[in-house]
Amino acid sequence: MTGRAFLALTGRELRRWIRTPTAIVASIMTPFFYLLLFGQAFNIGKFLASGPPQLALIAFQGAPNYYSYFSAGLVMFVVLFSSLFIGANVILDKRLGYIKKLTVAPVSRAIILSANVAAGVIRCLLFGSIVLALALGFDHLPGLNGLTVTASVTPWGAVEIFLSMVFLATAFTSIFVTVGYVLEQVESYFAIVNLVNLPLLFSSTALAPETIMPGWLQTIAKANPITLSINVLRENLFPWQGYYPYPPETYLAILLIFTLAVVGLSVAATIRSLAPT
Amino acid sequence: MPPAIVVENLEKTYAGKIRAVQGVTFEVQEREIFGFLGPNGAGKTTTVSMLTTLLRPTAGRAQVDGIDVATDPRSVRRRIGLVFQESTADDQLTGEENLELAAALYDVPRSETRSRIDALLEQMNLTSVRHRLVKTYSGGMRRRLELAAGVIHTPKVLFLDEPTLGLDPQGRAGIGQYIRRMRDDFGVTVFLTTHYLDEADALCDRIAIIDRGQIRALGSPNQLKDRLGGDILTIVPRDEGPDLSPLLGKIPGILSVSRRDGSYRLKSDRGEAITPTVVETCFRNGVTLASVSLKRPSLDEVFLEFTGRQYREDEGPSATDVTLRMNQFRGRSR
Repeated sequence: MTGRAFLALTGRELRRWIRTPTAIVASIMTPFFYLLLFGQAFNIGKFLASGPPQLALIAFQGAPNYYSYFSAGLVMFVVLFSSLFIGANVILDKRLGYIKKLTVAPVSRAIILSANVAAGVIRCLLFGSIVLALALGFDHLPGLNGLTVTASVTPWGAVEIFLSMVFLATAFTSIFVTVGYVLEQVESYFAIVNLVNLPLLFSSTALAPETIMPGWLQTIAKANPITLSINVLRENLFPWQGYYPYPPETYLAILLIFTLAVVGLSVAATIRSLAPT
Repeated sequence: MPPAIVVENLEKTYAGKIRAVQGVTFEVQEREIFGFLGPNGAGKTTTVSMLTTLLRPTAGRAQVDGIDVATDPRSVRRRIGLVFQESTADDQLTGEENLELAAALYDVPRSETRSRIDALLEQMNLTSVRHRLVKTYSGGMRRRLELAAGVIHTPKVLFLDEPTLGLDPQGRAGIGQYIRRMRDDFGVTVFLTTHYLDEADALCDRIAIIDRGQIRALGSPNQLKDRLGGDILTIVPRDEGPDLSPLLGKIPGILSVSRRDGSYRLKSDRGEAITPTVVETCFRNGVTLASVSLKRPSLDEVFLEFTGRQYREDEGPSATDVTLRMNQFRGRSR
């Protein structure tokens, strides 16, 4: 019974989303322009061009150039930013009385929350994959920088990459959905989202390697869940031995622990916010 | 048969001081259409929210189909349907998809889901628009869809919070017809709230008049009107003269006299016959009249009688007003 309600609620979220083509097209265009403009413009690897090729490898932790390094980070950055939309939907649903309708149905709160999260994660995975595909495609276009894969990716490596996206998406979708359940105003929701997302992004290794950061920021960057997921991705795309202290499995495991903790807290907070007063 | 709803001394106090519901007691019988009538802010929605497990009672007891709402909310939820005053159908889904979602949430047996959806769409006159997105529906169509969703799991009790709010008079009349059909065809007990007197009068088997968190009167519309004891004659003097109440009270056929703001309200079981005598009495005592009106009792009068106040549908700010504004907003943005 719970499985049926879960599928129905997830399906409802996805249908709503598919029926707003404007939003989908705009959401795909955004990472496209990040790759096309931001990545090409901020190619800080050019400063290293005069040095020996090893210099870039060291600077970018095994990645052959800045663009490859950056686009791997962008995949997870887009996963993070895709995770905030469902939370905003929750606030709208609450305003329209839809959530109230769900809470008088004989469906557990945990199912309601998991359906929101599942729909959000599917969305994150889709956009993360699109960015990855675009970056790989750019590598084959003349005149453009792209994501050059220099390691041989094993099937298990592909699974690791997929799982790191799933874990990151699950953690942040849960956080933002919960914020949506707790808050009443869309305005305060987006204020909170910006407060969380941008510092998380800048304190990760998505845009720049940690070697150029001050010591205190390096410590934060190492523990940042975005960094953990990016490490899994980069270690599978580029040779990592000599550039990273741990294999991808280690980062994946830490990320999983973080995700489970976050999901547990989210379920508790959501159930509390939906309890009758 | 045991009552479908039993409520004893139910109370709800918000934030420790706002006493929205101050100890109400009533029973609703099976297959009854029971109406909670009162102005905005009277405590109607708060009562429904407690009965439907959305709010926890501060004190007192409430049972739906024999189950306590506070101790076993999950079982209560399985036995009730609820249609909110605001539209909760999903705009971006079709009518049929909305019903499929409701069927899944209430775990309607899969083998019956299709036939039940077909039957409900037919009954609610929505078959021709079943594949259209709900955002293209009119207000009346949305309401009918929500009614259908509310009974898709064949609940014992269907709660309707202001079922006709925001509809035009034609739509309102239509919905009443559908509500009665639900009761007749499904045997469902209907508990509805309304602030429209005419609606309560036309639709409900019994009515509880609620005002400021308390039930002031309870009975069938006819019983309530009968309790007023006949016709009501209102006379308004041009100038506030001497109090004629004692004199008027002596006229044979007059049951009672009350005076408010200079005007008199007389009750009589034969209004037409006594009107000339009343006018003459006033005239002889030097009181010139500005107006005379004779009314058959309506629920307006019932309300005035039991609460001491004129009935105003728009009294006080409440959730209802907000909903109305939101509906208007929604209408504009479409």
